[in-house]
Amino acid sequence: MIAQLVLNGFVTGLLLALPALALTLTFGILKFPNFAIGAMLTFGAYAAWVANSLLGMPLAVAAVASAVVMALVAMLCDVLVYSRLRDRGSITLLVSSLGISLVLENICRFAFGNATRNFAFEVARPIRWHGLRINQEQLITAIVVIACVILIQLLLHASPLGRAMRAVADNPALAAVRGVERQTIARITWCIAGCLTALSGVLAGLDRAVDPLLGWNYQIPIFAAAILGGLGSPTGAIVGAIVIGLAEELSSLVLPTNYRQIVSFAVILLLLLVRNRGLFGGKAVRK
Amino acid sequence: MIAYLTTLIILVAVSALVGLALNVQWGVAGLVNFGVVGFVALGAYTTALLAPPLGWFPAMITAAALCALISTVLAFLSIRLEENYLAIVTIGFGEVVRILLLNESWLTGGAVGIADIPRPFVNLVPPRQYDLMLAAFALVLVAIVFVLLETLVRSPFGRALRAVRDDATVAAALGKPVLLLRVKAFATGGAVMGTAGALHAFYLTYIDPSQFTSIITAYAFMAVIAGGRGSNFGLLFGAGTIMVLLEATRFLKDAFAVIDGTQLAALRLGLIGLGIVLLLILRPQGLLPEPQRKANDFFPDHEGTS
Amino acid sequence: MSMPPVTPALSVQGLRAGYGNGGDIVCGIDIDQAPETVLAVIGPNGSGKSTFVKTLAGLLRPRAGSIAVTGRDVTALSPARRVMAGLAYVPQEANVFGNLTIRENLKLATEFLRGRPGVGPAQRELVMALFPEIAARPKLLAGNLSGGQRQMLAFACALLANPEVLLLDEPSAGLSPKFVGETMEAVVRVRESGVTVLLVEQNVAAALRIADEVMVLVAGRKSLRAPAKDISNADLADLFFAKAG
Repeated sequence: MIAQLVLNGFVTGLLLALPALALTLTFGILKFPNFAIGAMLTFGAYAAWVANSLLGMPLAVAAVASAVVMALVAMLCDVLVYSRLRDRGSITLLVSSLGISLVLENICRFAFGNATRNFAFEVARPIRWHGLRINQEQLITAIVVIACVILIQLLLHASPLGRAMRAVADNPALAAVRGVERQTIARITWCIAGCLTALSGVLAGLDRAVDPLLGWNYQIPIFAAAILGGLGSPTGAIVGAIVIGLAEELSSLVLPTNYRQIVSFAVILLLLLVRNRGLFGGKAVRK
Repeated sequence: MIAYLTTLIILVAVSALVGLALNVQWGVAGLVNFGVVGFVALGAYTTALLAPPLGWFPAMITAAALCALISTVLAFLSIRLEENYLAIVTIGFGEVVRILLLNESWLTGGAVGIADIPRPFVNLVPPRQYDLMLAAFALVLVAIVFVLLETLVRSPFGRALRAVRDDATVAAALGKPVLLLRVKAFATGGAVMGTAGALHAFYLTYIDPSQFTSIITAYAFMAVIAGGRGSNFGLLFGAGTIMVLLEATRFLKDAFAVIDGTQLAALRLGLIGLGIVLLLILRPQGLLPEPQRKANDFFPDHEGTS
Repeated sequence: MSMPPVTPALSVQGLRAGYGNGGDIVCGIDIDQAPETVLAVIGPNGSGKSTFVKTLAGLLRPRAGSIAVTGRDVTALSPARRVMAGLAYVPQEANVFGNLTIRENLKLATEFLRGRPGVGPAQRELVMALFPEIAARPKLLAGNLSGGQRQMLAFACALLANPEVLLLDEPSAGLSPKFVGETMEAVVRVRESGVTVLLVEQNVAAALRIADEVMVLVAGRKSLRAPAKDISNADLADLFFAKAG
């Protein structure tokens, strides 16, 4: 039924919105695409799982704990790796993020193996509404993501920190002479990206169960969403994520579900053919 | 012992080919290919499918050509815009290949794969010594590719690529057709990756999707970084060193019985990731000292730098 | 008759700077600028004027020498901290945040200056009085302003930080003659409000009209420093086209 697919697609898109937002924020301010985004999602999911299933915290608390952990991990990556490579160009940063993604993903795999893990969470029965089936996970996803999106938009547009972040994304040298230290903003951005990605890890783990490839499976849709919306545009990332979510779900009308990744890939290729700036004209800056 | 050595030689040869290919794409031309494993797999499967009807040599050539073609298309679409896109496009390509290999069973045999792949020069040598011969074949192949690529790197084409890698704006201002140069470089690398896949198929005579995992991509990057980007000789050194180190971890598994297969795989991948990061930070010029490139390498007619 | 020595608003000693592994572009400059004056820095293309002012602003680390603002050494300070020490800078291009509104640009100009004396509503009123056109449409995206309006906004943002010294990098670049005139008048108003201005300018005539003193840079070195009224076109031609050294 199409309506059900649209609903599912919308919620999938919302789930993608958080990591897509994280990706576009770090791209805007640090000028390179973070290839560790999927691995960060995985790491966040495992951190929450440890807190929830092994340490017995309720899932909501575990999610917050995971967000804190992930914010610290992301900041640590910047302190140890990314800030040291800042002058070497976006390609070097790109490859280093590949290295970091390998490390993060395989810490999880080494510690917990390839078996799927589940959160200790009582799943209520789905709601039926006008013939549509809405899972509890979908409701949670929708509420959490919408809340986060509102918070982020408020941050970006109604707070000094948000102004500073947008200023650094626009013109780091000018921001520096206006009193905004780029290093500080970069660290804060990583913290925010870490939180968002960790939360999306929890939501993804609720949706699919936690395994070392959890984040990797979202890697291409996340990028497709961010590129579709224009790399660097937060609003674009959110809209792009919803579009990708819908596209993937609706594609199940014609393609087997295994092939969903191809949908995102096709979207990326199509965008490259037609328009390189995405929906919202985010900067496709030539270095 | 000999069997282990021949295995090692062939594995190193395959990895060396992949590394040399990425060295052209990334080390020399500055193009990031995160889908290396997809091209290798494509080369292997093309060879596996075409060798029975066509013979091993035409199959290998076709594999290389097909990889070159797809490389051209992907590069052309992405590079004209921005290099970052090439990275995600190639990852996407790698994933698409993986999905197709697993699911299009009518062609690829799905998870089961393809068996009974014909091998080169099978009739020349008694079966017991065939592996030695294949190892020799592998070495010759690497030598040929090495010489070809080294010539390429030192040629005006290679110099222009390095100039473009270091500053695309300057190179464009000098009038070199930037896009075409880079696409050619990317296609050359793709062709060599396809050849590596062919060698892999010949060696194992049986391929399935589980043989083509992200460790191939990761490993290639580490080899290129360890070897010092752009230096083919350094790459062989880097590839050899890393292969030896990784093989050493195989013995870890026996020494520390607590580590199981999955953990060993995780350890290897994690160490490669760590290695990539550490090398980039601490020794970006590679493990070997890099020969100082002077301005005359790029602009033979120019006196000094401006 | 002895006057107490006045601390120069800006004091530069032996400044050397360059990019990457290249040679020195700024090859040892000494200059003291008296408070509340306009110093025009002029010179042929490639003489290092832009590099000089970027080094003063903190965007380029000097290789040797020192910079002091009202007696306080700022050489080791980051650009952000130099602003807090009283040194403001208006770059040549990209001198406003195009993706932010006028109001946001203005807010940003002071939000991150902790402890800079004189920053506040009083200063804001002063600055808005100097540049009334800006206050008119606060929600407009700065990127949509004309060149001249952007220049005004950039000036205003720099001034909101209540600087002692204002560095301007070719403020007339890309402006039509009418706007060049208006921009130069704005510079005069800024000086009259008590700020010392160092102005790098390609448009020599416009700069000479408003400058108190002129410094000529040739090949990274100071080749002349004199009051503006003492300079004639002939002098300048000699300097600009003479070989260095």
